[in-house]
Order: sequence, then C-alpha cells, then structure tokens
Amino acid sequence: MSSVTLSGVEKYYGELRVVHGINLIIELQEFVVLVGPSGCGKSTTLRMIAGLEEISEGTINIENRVVNRVAPKDRDVAMVFQNYALYPHLKVFENIAFGLRIRKEPKEHIEKTVREVSEILGLTPYLDRRPAELSGGQRQRVAMGRAIVRHPKVFLFDEPLSNLDAKLRTQMRAEIKRLHNRLGVTSVYVTHDQVEAMTLADRIVVMNDGIIEQVGTPMELFNNPANMFVAGFIGSPPMNQLDGVITTSATGLHATVGDTSIALPALDNVKAGQAVVVGIRPEHISMSSVDGLSPVPISLDLVEPLGSEALLHATVNGQALIIKAETHGEISHLHQVAEIYAPVDLIKVFDAETGKVLNSAARQS
Amino acid sequence: MLNWNLYSRGDKVFAIVVSILIGMFTIATLYPFIYIAAVSFSSGFAAQAGKVVLTPIELTTEAYKYILVQPEFWISYRNTFIYTIGGTIMSLLFIVPAAYALSRPQLMGRRFFNLFIAFTMWFNAGLIPFYLNMRDLNLLDSMFGIILAFAVNAFNIILLRNFFESIPQSFEEAARMDGANDFQVLWKVFVPLSKPAIATITLFCIVARWNGFFWAMVLLQSEEKIPLQVFLRHTLATLSDDDEFAITQLEAAYSAETVTAAIIVCSIIPVLLVYPWIQKYFEKGILLGGVKE
Amino acid sequence: MLMPAIVWFIIFLYKPMYGLQIAFKDYSIFRGVADSPWTGFEHFETLFSNDQFIRAFWNTIKISALNLLFGFPAPIILALMFNEVINATYKKTAQTIVYLPHFISSVIIAGIVITAFSPSVGIVNTVLGWLGIDPIYFLTKPEWFRPIFVGTGIWQEAGFGSIVFLAAIAGVNPSLYESAVVDGASRWQMMWRITIPSILPTIIIMLIIRIGNVMEVSFELIILLYQPATYETADVVNTFVYRQGLQSGRYDFAAAAGLFNAVVAFVLVMVANTLSRRYSRTSLW
Repeated sequence: MSSVTLSGVEKYYGELRVVHGINLIIELQEFVVLVGPSGCGKSTTLRMIAGLEEISEGTINIENRVVNRVAPKDRDVAMVFQNYALYPHLKVFENIAFGLRIRKEPKEHIEKTVREVSEILGLTPYLDRRPAELSGGQRQRVAMGRAIVRHPKVFLFDEPLSNLDAKLRTQMRAEIKRLHNRLGVTSVYVTHDQVEAMTLADRIVVMNDGIIEQVGTPMELFNNPANMFVAGFIGSPPMNQLDGVITTSATGLHATVGDTSIALPALDNVKAGQAVVVGIRPEHISMSSVDGLSPVPISLDLVEPLGSEALLHATVNGQALIIKAETHGEISHLHQVAEIYAPVDLIKVFDAETGKVLNSAARQS
Repeated sequence: MLNWNLYSRGDKVFAIVVSILIGMFTIATLYPFIYIAAVSFSSGFAAQAGKVVLTPIELTTEAYKYILVQPEFWISYRNTFIYTIGGTIMSLLFIVPAAYALSRPQLMGRRFFNLFIAFTMWFNAGLIPFYLNMRDLNLLDSMFGIILAFAVNAFNIILLRNFFESIPQSFEEAARMDGANDFQVLWKVFVPLSKPAIATITLFCIVARWNGFFWAMVLLQSEEKIPLQVFLRHTLATLSDDDEFAITQLEAAYSAETVTAAIIVCSIIPVLLVYPWIQKYFEKGILLGGVKE
Repeated sequence: MLMPAIVWFIIFLYKPMYGLQIAFKDYSIFRGVADSPWTGFEHFETLFSNDQFIRAFWNTIKISALNLLFGFPAPIILALMFNEVINATYKKTAQTIVYLPHFISSVIIAGIVITAFSPSVGIVNTVLGWLGIDPIYFLTKPEWFRPIFVGTGIWQEAGFGSIVFLAAIAGVNPSLYESAVVDGASRWQMMWRITIPSILPTIIIMLIIRIGNVMEVSFELIILLYQPATYETADVVNTFVYRQGLQSGRYDFAAAAGLFNAVVAFVLVMVANTLSRRYSRTSLW
C-alpha cells in the first residue's frame, strides 16, 4: 500500500500556474525529499498535501483516501515549519501538547506522550521554558516533538533546517535521519539544499518550474541525471557542462569544444554535427594521463583550497570548467595544471536542444 | 490561509455566524445615516408622525430649500473651509519643522524639549485658564485666534518626530556632504521621504478642524464668524429647546427635524467625499505613532 | 526650527498653567491674574462641599467605568470577528463602513441621536410604537442618559478602535495558524489559543491607556446631549466647569474644579505609564 499518491496535481493562483501536473507515488515509511530552486513549486506541493492550499486540479490520496476536500485536521498529517511556528506564549510542554489538547485527548495520555517524546528528543530539561528561552536547535526539536506526539500517518517538513547555522544544520540533519529510522513514518521533506536532499532521502524528487524533472535515489540522480537541470542541481560543485558539436572518426565519437576534441562514450542516437552538451563532474576529472585519452588543454585562473581537496576554476576555449582535485596537503603543484583528462565512461552527453541525457546508461537504470 | 473548501463543517458554521454578526453591526453603523438622509427628504408632516423608517416619505426637498436660502448656512460653510484650510496649513508650518528639530540627535537640550512638549499631553490647565488667556491675548471672537490657538498639539509632533527618527541617518549625512543646510535637508530629503506620515498628520488636522466645534462655540460670538458645526448646534438647540418651531411648521413641508437632518447631510457630504483618501492613510497613521512609541 | 512651536506652547499651553493660580485667588477680571488677592484653598473647600461637583465627579467615574466595561471589549471583539471573515471584499466594505462614524463631528452625532430618539419623529419610538409601547422621552430621562451615551460611543468608536487590534492580529506569525490547522485546531480554538494570547500585550496596553484617560469623557458630546433634567446622571466634571466658568462666570471656582480634574488625570496617566513600562518595557510615549 502506498502512503501518499499525487495524480495530475496542479495549482493555480488566478492565471498563474505554479504546479503543472505532478504525479508521484510515495511508499509507506519512505523518506522523500522534494528539492529544487525557490519558486519551483515544491513548497506549494507540500502545502497541498498538508491541506493548507487547495488543489486546483488532480487528486491527492493519503492511504487510499482522496483528501482534496478533507480539512487538514482530518488528514492525519503533521508538519514542521521553516520558522518552527512555536507558540511564544506557551511553554515547551504545552507547545508539544498543543495538537493533543486540541483533540481533547485524556490528560494522562497527553502527559505520558509528551514526556516520552521529549525524552526521545532530549527536551526533558526544557519543558518549562518558553520558546524565546531556547536555542535554535532546541526550538527545532520542539517543532519536531509537536509533530511526533500526534503519531501521524505522514510527516511533512517545510525547509526545517534553513534557519539554523551550518554546523547545527549538519547535526540536526543527522538527527532527523535517525528519528526517521527509529519511527519509520512516511516523510515528505522540502528543501532547496541538495546536500540535505542527498543525505536524508530514500528518494529525491527534483522539481523545477512546477514540474518534476527526475525522481530517484540520491545515487541514481548523481550517477545518471536525466537532464541538464538535474545534472546542474545535484552534486557540489555541480556537473560541468561544455557546449560542443559531435564529430565521428575512426577512433570513435568525439565532441568538439572550440578547437579541442573530447572523446565521448559510444552513443547510437547522435549524428555528426549535432549540438550537444558534454557533462563531466568536477571530481571525475583526472590530471594525470589516462590510457588512450588525449589531454584537454585548459587555462587555469583560480585555485580554491578547501583542505584535503581544492577547486580549480579554469576555462576550456572560454567555457568555464571546475575541477575538484586532491591536495595531499599541498596546492602549489595545482597552479601548474595546464591540461586535464576526462574519463570517457564517466562523461554524460546531453542534447543541447532538449537538455535530455543521450547516454543509454540513464535508460538502463 | 483562509481556504473555504478546506474548512471543516464547524469552521464553516463559525465563519458564517461571524460574517452575519459583522453584517449586522455594519448595518447598525450605516442605518442612522440612511435614516437621517431619509428624514431630510421627507415632508415635515411625515417626519412628525414618525413614519420615516428607511426611505423618504412624501419625498420633498423643502428642507434643503429652507436651508440653502439661509445666508447663515452659506457663511458658516465658507467659514468651516477657511478654518480647515487655514488651520491645517498653520499646523503644518509649526509641526513639521518642530518634529524635524526634535528628531535630530545633535539638538541641544533635546530631552528637555521633548519633555516640554510631551508634558502638555499629560497635563493641561483646563478650560477656564485657556479661555482667560485667549481673552488676555485679545483673541476672542477672532478667526485668526481660532486658526492659531489650535494649530499645534503634542501628539502630532511626536508622531512625526518618530517617523523622522526612523529615517536612516545616512540620508541626512549624504545631503550634508552635498552641502545642504538644515532647511534644505528638511525640505529636500525628509519631507519627500515622509509623505505618508505628513499626509496622515494633514488628515488628522483636516478632520479635527472640520469637526471642531466646542471652542468655536465658546470663543466666537459674531454670526458671520461661526463654522458650520456651531451653526448646526444652534439649529439643534432650537429643535430641542423650542417646540414652537415644530408646532408652527406641523402642517408644512418641512419641520425642525427635517431641517436638522438636511444640515447634517450637507455637513457629512464633504467628509464622505474625502473619506476614501482619508481611509488610505489613517490605518498607517494610527499605527505610526499610536501605541508603539 | 523648533522655536516657533516652543513659543506657541508657552503662549497657548504653559501660560494658562500660570493662570491656574486663580484657583487659589479671588479672581477679578479687572485686576487680572497676577493682581487678584490670594484666598488659599477656599475654592477647593467650597468645591468639596458642593453636591453638584461631587455628583459630577462620581458621574465621570461611572460613565468611564461603563465605557471601560462595554466600550473597551467592543473593538477587540470586532477585530477578532473581522479576522474570521473569509470574503476579502465583504471584509473591506464592512471595515470601510464601521470606521466612518469616527470621522463625524460630535455635533452631528448629537444631531443624529436627538433625531433618532425624539419622541415624535424618532425611529426608536417608532419601533417601540410597533411593539405597543408608548413613546419615551429618552433624552429627558436620567436613567437613559448613560446607556445612550455609552451606546453612542460604541457605535462611533468600536470600528475605528478595532484597527489597532487588527494590526496586532496581522502581526501574528501566520505559520502559527498553519501549524494549528495541521494539528487539528478549529477556528474557534485558534482564536482562543493563538490570536487572543498573541494580542494580549496590545490589549493590556490599550487597557492601561484607557485607565489613564478615565477623567477624559467626551464632554463635547455630553454638552450637546444633556439637559437640566438629566444632569443627575449626565453632568461630569468638565461640563460642570463649563457651566460654572464659561456660562456663569465663576472663573476662579471653575478653575479650581478644572485643576482638581487635571491633577487626578495626571496622576492616573503617570500610574498608567509606570504600569505599562513595567509590563511592556516600552513606555507609552
């Protein structure tokens, strides 16, 4: 049985269509992350599942019940908000108990459940405080506690970590993951941060301009992006994309980028002269010679050391290229880099017109 | 947030009940105006008989004809315009520079002057000393006296001062670097940046002037100087004290009541005309100075 | 640039304060403020043994108390209700209408009240007539004065007064409501558990301001509505001052009554401000 199903879901604000026919099946206990740039419709989609926004077209099912016209309170979902939405006038205990009080649960039950949940989240010492007296991470936990006490069918997270500093974000991210492993409740999580998406998700849904670009596990999206958008969104730094033209020769398929030629993997659906985009991840680029590959000359303009790695900003015939290189504790040798090698089997080729990937590998998976 | 289709049944009932209550209160607010308008267009006889409820009975414009031929009505109407326009200009001439000066951190004795002005909001001498003072100043029965003596109030100065204070210091510093003096900074930088606040204060002044009646009644004796509100008050007094008017006019097309109603209508119309403009600003204005500071 | 305003304040507000000394003098127009002979607290002694003044003082308190009891909650309730109205056009229209009476002068308000409650013409008696009740001379009955006065105040000011509370409501973080919706709260529950607690600071500040203004009843409207027959319930300190001073010419005596009123008002305002400072850390001014 699936947990949440979206069929042909659309959202209009007047004439403006912000979500264009979303189809998505979320399995029981699955952790699905909706990711995309701001304005891509991910939050609107989440709010339609919550019942905070009406669904203009299509249907949303939660555990085999169409909920289009069901009030939020009858959907049995719980939500964690970006700014936590803690009631400033209530203490932590009452904030967590809010949903249970509203539902007029028996007092002893509320007491017991809230205590249990605070224990899980390490909030027990803070139950008598007000939200203003808590740190960012503690507020975040209270917001999660409030969702957990209700034992909902689905957890909805709306960019819950975006108000935290980088260090705390990493820590809370792991906590959310642990919590999900422990409770096993279906979760839908919205973020614009691809790192969060990669680390948390069972499956990632990449959205752009109100449509789904690709759905898949984090590694599927990383290894086999379906199009240039996903390739450019997942991974940090994102995949390099070089404009080129297909040339065929005895030695195989090549793409000409300016006056440089890059060897491509075998493709059966291209012809000479076709405009393509060559995708190569910064971490896949090699600086030592690879058998059978001719070097690609680059002009280096900047080296950013990150510690064990460094980012090399360069150009190939005027097109930007980023290379991630190991430093081995030293960056002086990186300043001398003048040519690189692009391993053929790791290259993605995209149709310049449609942006779709041309490698067959994507279709296999 | 308010998604009707996603409301539960109970919420829908609640929303409907509330909307109905709001509707009732709104109608109750509006009704007296409609009623007065209806009375003003009814015959004196119908009004006397208590027949007017919602629409004019025995439709007539006699009451209006009775007023509109009275020179006192037109004189008082004209005077009200003089007091409103003259008074508002006078107010702005005092308030804007004072508020600007008080908003400058470099003003010497700023704390003292602020207190000096604010103190008048908490304590005032009262009717009698104010009246005697006006007499000593020879401003009894003087149109200029009315315009001058009510030009300033502490609340408006403080309201505008607060707004000026919220304008970043860098605006003034930039203007000074460019060589502007105090007046130029005020006139070329602060006034254009404070249009909403100044508009709000202008409106407060206009409304207060248009509606002001008590001191005009006390201080002005000459018929040719009284504003509309005082003229209306005289008519009202005739109505409640002098039953003769009503009796002699019983059979007539107008009565004291319909005449009063007609004057009320005439006096409200200008307010209604500027009301959309007023409404645009007063919500801001209330919040600008009101409770927060 | 400050000077014109300062001079104005001195001439029109501070000089009358100097003139207040006539409350302790036997004031004569011909001698003027400075040269009239001192009489000490004689006027105050007369004042506190004057039944009319004592009555006016208690009337002020009673009318203010009624205003507080009925007039204070009205705009809050109205704002809470406006917050529940879904149709934006309906809401805007209703707001436009209920704000309107605030901008109408007290003379016109009085005119409307007098006309509406008039025994022959008035709509109120017309309706009572339908119910078979004989006309009541409302404005000559002391027992009716306060209900009419307080009711008129609500009619005129409740709508406008709701603006402050609506602004406070608008300042509540919307995700608090969204979170409550997902948690299953009804609109009614949200009103009590979110809206009211959130605007409580505003409510308390407004209440403190009201308490500070207890001595300030809108005496302009009272002057227009009361008559000797209703002095018993309608006469307040300011109307008493007006009659004694400006109508009967007992300037010194009336100034004493006014001074007493001003001092009581000043003390109340100061207490209110201290309270508010303690409560909200920001004082009212």
